[in-house]
Amino acid sequence: MNGTVKVLEATGIRKHFGGVIALSNANLVCRSGRISGLLGANGSGKSTMSKIITGVYSADAGEIRYNGKPVKYKSPNEARQDGIAMVFQNLSLVADLNVWQNIVLGEEENKGLFLNNRTAMEHSREIVDQLLPGLDIRKMVHELNPGEMQIVEIAKAISENPKLLILDEPTAALEQAQVKSLFDTMRALVKKGVAIIFTSHRLWEAMEICDDVVVFRNGENVAGIDFTRDGKDPEKIIGHITGETQKSKVEKKGRTVSDEVVLRIQNLNYGRFLKSISFKLRKGEILGIGGLAGQGQHELMLALAGNYPGATCDAELNGKKIKLTRPAHAIRNSILLVPGDRQLEGLFLTHSLFTNIIFPKLGLKHQPLFTPRKKYREECQGVIDALSIVTHNMDMPVNSLSGGNQQKVIVGKWLSFDTNVLLLADPAKGVDVGAKRDLYDYIVGQVKKNKMSVILYASDNEELIQYCDRLMIMYEGQVVATLEGEDINDETIVTTSMRVR
Amino acid sequence: MSTRSMTNLQDSVAYKIIDRYKKLIIAFLLIVFLFVIGEFTVETFLTLGQVLLTLKLASFIALFALCQMVAIAGGGTGLDLSVGYMATITAVFTAAIMDGRNSYLWIAVLVALGLGIAVGLVNGLLTAYLKLPPLVVTLAMANILQGVINVYTAGKNITGRPSPVLRIIAAKSTGIFPNIVFLLIVITPIVMIIMYKTKLGLKLFGSGANETAAYLSGVNVKMVRCFSYVISSTLASLIGLLLLGNMGIAFKDMGSNYVMPSIAAVVVGGVSLAGGDGNYIGVILGAIFLQTLTNLLVALGWGDDGKWIGFGIVLFALLILYLSNRRKR
Amino acid sequence: MNRKNNAGASALKRFVSNHDFPRLLILIAMFALTAVMQKNFFAIKSIVRNINSFTPLILLTMGQAVVIISGGLDLSVGSALSLLTCVATSVMREGLPITGAYALVVTFAVAIVIGLINGIGIGFFRVPPLIVTFATSYIWLGIALFLRPTPGGETVDWFQMFYKIRNIEGAPAALKAFGEIIPPALVLVLLGCLVWWVVSKTKTGRYIYAVGSNSESAYVTGINTSWVQIKACLINSVFIFLAALFFVGQNGSGDARMGDPLTLKAIAAVVVGGIALTGGRGSVYYALVGALIFSFVSKIIFFANIPNAFQTLFSGVIIIVAIAGSQMYTLSSRKEMEESKLT
Repeated sequence: MNGTVKVLEATGIRKHFGGVIALSNANLVCRSGRISGLLGANGSGKSTMSKIITGVYSADAGEIRYNGKPVKYKSPNEARQDGIAMVFQNLSLVADLNVWQNIVLGEEENKGLFLNNRTAMEHSREIVDQLLPGLDIRKMVHELNPGEMQIVEIAKAISENPKLLILDEPTAALEQAQVKSLFDTMRALVKKGVAIIFTSHRLWEAMEICDDVVVFRNGENVAGIDFTRDGKDPEKIIGHITGETQKSKVEKKGRTVSDEVVLRIQNLNYGRFLKSISFKLRKGEILGIGGLAGQGQHELMLALAGNYPGATCDAELNGKKIKLTRPAHAIRNSILLVPGDRQLEGLFLTHSLFTNIIFPKLGLKHQPLFTPRKKYREECQGVIDALSIVTHNMDMPVNSLSGGNQQKVIVGKWLSFDTNVLLLADPAKGVDVGAKRDLYDYIVGQVKKNKMSVILYASDNEELIQYCDRLMIMYEGQVVATLEGEDINDETIVTTSMRVR
Repeated sequence: MSTRSMTNLQDSVAYKIIDRYKKLIIAFLLIVFLFVIGEFTVETFLTLGQVLLTLKLASFIALFALCQMVAIAGGGTGLDLSVGYMATITAVFTAAIMDGRNSYLWIAVLVALGLGIAVGLVNGLLTAYLKLPPLVVTLAMANILQGVINVYTAGKNITGRPSPVLRIIAAKSTGIFPNIVFLLIVITPIVMIIMYKTKLGLKLFGSGANETAAYLSGVNVKMVRCFSYVISSTLASLIGLLLLGNMGIAFKDMGSNYVMPSIAAVVVGGVSLAGGDGNYIGVILGAIFLQTLTNLLVALGWGDDGKWIGFGIVLFALLILYLSNRRKR
Repeated sequence: MNRKNNAGASALKRFVSNHDFPRLLILIAMFALTAVMQKNFFAIKSIVRNINSFTPLILLTMGQAVVIISGGLDLSVGSALSLLTCVATSVMREGLPITGAYALVVTFAVAIVIGLINGIGIGFFRVPPLIVTFATSYIWLGIALFLRPTPGGETVDWFQMFYKIRNIEGAPAALKAFGEIIPPALVLVLLGCLVWWVVSKTKTGRYIYAVGSNSESAYVTGINTSWVQIKACLINSVFIFLAALFFVGQNGSGDARMGDPLTLKAIAAVVVGGIALTGGRGSVYYALVGALIFSFVSKIIFFANIPNAFQTLFSGVIIIVAIAGSQMYTLSSRKEMEESKLT
């Protein structure tokens, strides 16, 4: 049904996190009975948009109208009361209850004094059969695979008969057949007048299921395409996603990559995250890892850093076989990781800069019992200077630093080591432009000077384009393409990342 | 405009320093507060003799609290509930060994070390490697140690006395100043140095502050945590010697009454129960606070029951104040 | 007809393959062992005596299980129990039967307050449960000591119906006979089971599991997690109340220290019963099984003629072995699940 009722209208939404602007001027209109797609590259703001609509975040500026009246939800619960349901990645499932119990969780009906399990089960079975026939609703959630869990999340959202359903990357964990069932269910819902917002990285999915798409880039929507009216032109859409602007000159002058292989990885496997990955890293090279978010890039970095005892691979460093099953193995071979989630993995927030920066030295062999205070403090000051870390002094706790400076501390921890291979897991994520430049200047300087080799994963394609000699694109745990030279540009990256079926 | 000046205030160095030592200042103020109350309600509460006595008794609490601090610092909901009976069992055994003779002191010390290391190893292996909850493991260990004492003392009296050296350190004073307080004053900087300036101390704090970050930096978190329990028990064992020296004899419940105050002192001192930091000065202040509180309650005529109620309520209130984790909406 | 059989068969299959099932087998083994070692095990007198001695632990364990499943932990159950006995025996006056009724009401009220305070600390302020109940255990102890510095107090005659009906003068003969075969202690346990059975079929019961399993998810779904954890503590209070009734009926006095050794045993029994200390999983009925296993093992040690002095020691060792064993079993089955998730 081509609804003319504007279920949702968002205008002029602004949102920033710390120094980073996620949305600068975002607009969106959703009508009943239509499926609107949100498209955009990593960090373009589309996910933030969904979260603002449902009350997970609050917008700095702008207005949201739901069925004509202005709303400002302070929590997903409030949005749910109004009939807005959202599905994120496994945020609301309880592992120790079974499928149907999860679906009705929070909305159970009573028969007299007790829970009415029979109607709950029937209700759940109905929904699940639409989405994933054959799934035993009595299975415990912790027994399900990620795809099934995603389906249960979706079922849960649908079971409340929402008027507006927001699906944020629902297909990321699903297999082909499950995606098809999901689409059928979505079409059925839409016939009943529900409005749906659908985001996905897979362009062909959006083109198949959506009635119109809105493309986000750099925090604002740059194009709105109505498929029924304008037809479907994938090239044009990709153009909107990547932008036609010329990127700044690529920095690769003055760096030569030798032919000598520093690190050779064969057949790296880790459960369902990494499948048969093999590559060679040359001395003085910056090897990039790209692709859509969540395709295993992060896991690859952690595996190379020795974080997964369960990962298997043949690894050779400078021709010598090495093991990578414990972080200590990697560290002692000077394969050093700058972790991605700085708060979770990288820093002791309440401790001083000094403690954080010199901490990795403690893991080396032959360290004296008493930390050589003077020597370490000099080295620490050296790091602060080299990276231009902004701070009063090195004894301040790191949680007093800005995000960008915290990131510098994480990189700085490893600077005084003689690094063979530096693993950078999104080092500049959420960091302002100035700090980003300082960081990369330093790293590239090290590569030139000491012939350090780098494996760089960045969620921002621009960084990959600027700095990488070669770029591996990952998809579902495998390396699906390796780009070199001229091929490292926005369009090719996006195409190889998104077009694979 | 006003938000800008607010951030400027918060950025100022002075504010940051006060914030960091906030808990120490609160602990100190609480002590002063108690003394003031005491002075108003009870005569002769605030005399030099009383203060020194308080310090002496508080020293024992502070020493036990050090054990807790070590166990807690490593993270993983660390805690050592076996310190009380650890001290007791050492006191009981070494009393018989020394029987009032200085010459056997060094054997006693060796025995204490041996016992402490053994018990600590069991605690450490079970909690760090088998991942059993420290609460249950150390509580069960306390039970076992209590059982051993029961077996040992079945039907007979506990004999033995501490060597005179121990008595001098633990019970006696130099002039008016209790020796044990001297001991504490000497130990404190040593502790602080070890915790903050040695490899081991930093690794311990790192493991508690952020297990993943420490692991990724190459720290063997399990080993570090296991080691922290060994230290905790060994310290507790040595404190047993001091308890013996103070009391002159050993008896079954010597140490068990110190467990609760040792944890309370840690909380009052502002040390996070999740691990990762530990300011011993704060803990000492916490111990003094608790001892003062006890004295006050006793002086007011409240007796045993009042003491426990007072303790419980104060601890409960402080826990809510420091550890409340209300969801931010 | 066939469908019913199939339903029955599949239910049975699920019951047997339930990962808690081996515990039932262990229970049967312990039961058998005790039967062999204790003379007259099957004599009515022995059975009754056994039931009586097992009941306190069973009740406390079940209550503790509810708290633990909800994501909490209660270290204060022992002193709460002691406090309740002291309260009851302070309210009652010998020879005034009406004070017995008062005692019931007041003691129950105190139990509720205890549950509320613990629940607010754990659920509302979200202070780590083990520390906050550690603190409250001393409050209960202090109040108990205040009421009863030494064991004592008074009870009314009919209060013994919670222990031994035979001793009550003027009780109808039929009731006395009934009490010989079905000891009141058993009735208390069944009452406890009934309470849990009712709760488990309501929203609260399910929410207790949800909150214990993943309190963030539960919260996001709109469940009031604070309130759920408070209710779990209140349910625990009911069980402690029942245990207190039993003790007062049995001993006729209140004692501020009597509950101390039971706390750790209850927690250990919960673990033996297969309930994860992290919450969200396990069955309260299996906690009962855990308490029984524990009790039978204690009996076995007793009958193995181990000297008195060694009993505390053994009990501590058993606790560690039991928990270690249970934990390893739970860890290994969880590990299998994690590994299957990777592929």
